[in-house]
Amino acid sequence: MKLSSRIMATVAAILALVLPPVQAQQRITTIKAWTIGPDAPSVTRFSNLQAAAERLNAGLRREGVQYQIKVEGSFDTTNWDQFLRRVLLAFQGGDPPDIVQASAALSTTWAAAGFLAPLDDYVPKYKPFSDIVPALWTSVKYKGKTWGIPQDTEARPLYFNKVLLKKLGWTDQQIADLPKRIASGTFIWDDVMAVAKDARQKNIVEPGKGYYHRPFNGPDFMQWYRSFGGRDYDAQTGKLVFNKAAALRYYRWLRAGVDAGIIERDRINNDWNRFHQPITDGDGKVLFWSGGTWNWAEWSQQWVAARGGEAWLFDHFGYAPHPAYVKGGKPITLSNPQAYMVAAASKNKDVAIRLLADTMVPDLDAKHAIGSGHLPVLNRTVALVNNRFLKEVSYLLTYTTFQPPHPDLPKWQDAFFRGVSAVESGSATPEQAVDVVSGEMQRTLSDQVTVE
Amino acid sequence: MRRYSAPFLFLLPATLLIALFFVAPVVTTLYLSLTDLSTITFRHPRWIGLGNYASLLRDPFIGKILVNTAHYVGFTLLFNVGMGLLLALLSSSVRERYGNQIRAVWLLPRILPPVVYVVIWQGLSREAPYGLISDLAGTTRNWITARPWDVIILANGLVGASFGMLLFTAAIRAIPPDLFYASAVDGATTVQTVRRVVLPLLRWPILFVTAYQTLSLLTSFEYILLLTNGGPGFYTTTVWSLHAYQLALSNYFGNVQFGLGAAMAALLVVIGVVVTSFYLRLFNFRALVGEPKVEVN
Repeated sequence: MKLSSRIMATVAAILALVLPPVQAQQRITTIKAWTIGPDAPSVTRFSNLQAAAERLNAGLRREGVQYQIKVEGSFDTTNWDQFLRRVLLAFQGGDPPDIVQASAALSTTWAAAGFLAPLDDYVPKYKPFSDIVPALWTSVKYKGKTWGIPQDTEARPLYFNKVLLKKLGWTDQQIADLPKRIASGTFIWDDVMAVAKDARQKNIVEPGKGYYHRPFNGPDFMQWYRSFGGRDYDAQTGKLVFNKAAALRYYRWLRAGVDAGIIERDRINNDWNRFHQPITDGDGKVLFWSGGTWNWAEWSQQWVAARGGEAWLFDHFGYAPHPAYVKGGKPITLSNPQAYMVAAASKNKDVAIRLLADTMVPDLDAKHAIGSGHLPVLNRTVALVNNRFLKEVSYLLTYTTFQPPHPDLPKWQDAFFRGVSAVESGSATPEQAVDVVSGEMQRTLSDQVTVE
Repeated sequence: MRRYSAPFLFLLPATLLIALFFVAPVVTTLYLSLTDLSTITFRHPRWIGLGNYASLLRDPFIGKILVNTAHYVGFTLLFNVGMGLLLALLSSSVRERYGNQIRAVWLLPRILPPVVYVVIWQGLSREAPYGLISDLAGTTRNWITARPWDVIILANGLVGASFGMLLFTAAIRAIPPDLFYASAVDGATTVQTVRRVVLPLLRWPILFVTAYQTLSLLTSFEYILLLTNGGPGFYTTTVWSLHAYQLALSNYFGNVQFGLGAAMAALLVVIGVVVTSFYLRLFNFRALVGEPKVEVN
């Protein structure tokens, strides 16, 4: 025997001892999933997938099937911009994760780009999906097909500081009645302004802290535009719409707020800390502010955790839908549901869907809802959840609206947001801003937008 | 033919590298700028000729962004070169031991990762009682949103000045000491020595630092991105390269327009070339590359 063949025989013998027999080898399928908060408490968007995989694996082991699923991936807490860039580059590179979680509205854009797999053939096969609140499916539909599985939803309340209202002379009863007055259309945007002005004059709030909104672009601006009577989509033509009169009303309201010293001139400042910190500082320094239900979890777990958490929040903050702009008008909130989407390039679509079906079960849904301040998506979960905040805000969903299914919606939103920043910073009057925004929309969207 | 084979061989690696990492990206950018490539059209981009350039011309905010860019590059450059020069002169006029220490301190911001450096700035410029600047100034405000340009130029300049400082120091050291002795014998004051002896001999490094910094400032936006992201408010501190980045790679809603961003990048190259040729004329480049007038042994 030559030396080389002797070595080869030895190696083969060692390998035979070390490696298990072929039949006993388990097949492991790895599902790559990218998820995002960016709010830290929403980590269950990822960990629920892992929990579902563990259950699935346990079931498979019991059945004696030599097959296991492994979930790999990430939960992003940086920001949307960065996350979406990463996802986009992965889609374009041809090696995307099997499952991506993002705003349901993005399913339209990504479906139009051909990045997603339509799920209509899979959904009827799995029972858990049939328990999802029907209205949420519309948020993942585009061109008659389903492009995602609704993961959670939320509402965007108008919060108010009860302690500051009391200092203004409001009684407990008046404070408790405020959400009802907003819901019935008797307390409108102009009243928000009037109360804030009063608080400013009596020096109960510092300059600029009468009303806060988010510090950068986001779907909320469409909600406020709608609350001032605007419509943004024409279902008949499938085109986006820009209503100049409604935009002007909103921009004028913002400008008046800045002039009266109740809105900061630099409210668009890119810094979430400059939103949460004054809101939760001391007894809270901001009178009214627009936020999301998930902020509740952030405040209780991060900002006031050392001062009593949720109990502190119930003592200090109240919540209502966003008001109308005319007396008797309808209040509003906007839901931006999240969805799990499956990449068109995924080689494990069947396994990914199976995993999602195991993730959309009441206990995991409830765990995410309670832990992150989002609203559950399964009908059965609602009965299961015994959480004061979620119970008290879930009625907001009766006033909810969604973003329209148009792949070029981001261009509309970018232009509208530019108008807000121009008006607040004083770079343009509300009238000029409306002209600039409508011009910008016509330039970037051409025949896809109707300006009225 | 054989006569050229050796030079050709020596030039080949550099030529390949330049072709791969410089010429190819330029050609790709130019090509992309003629398509409507975006998130939605990624699979099927269309050739739209000069459509992106036309769209930029019709953009009512481009003028403001150009002015912002000039403001940013101009003032940061002044600070960078001026401060670099001042530091080089000061640190070479004191004892070498102290000079080295001063220079080492000024290099600190450069070796910090930009994100850490900006976090320090954010901490310094917050409202009282969180921010040091508010505490020292006695008025509480967020200095980044109150004086965005000042903060951006200072933050950039403090990092950038060390580049000029090092080059100018080396150049000052290279000046033959005889010249300083001669000017001292002639009774020149320190200011006169700097003006008549040092500065004329620093023309070449000053040209280099100015041109290099201009080009890098035109394309750099990381400190603006991290400090203000082009805000606060309406395009307040948005510069050309940041706008191109936002169009081509960054959007809250994930809808990015590579084609339009590429067109902006292509125009930036043109601006860079124009500015550089202006500098070459201003500093009389031909004379600079002529025979040296000072003998250095």
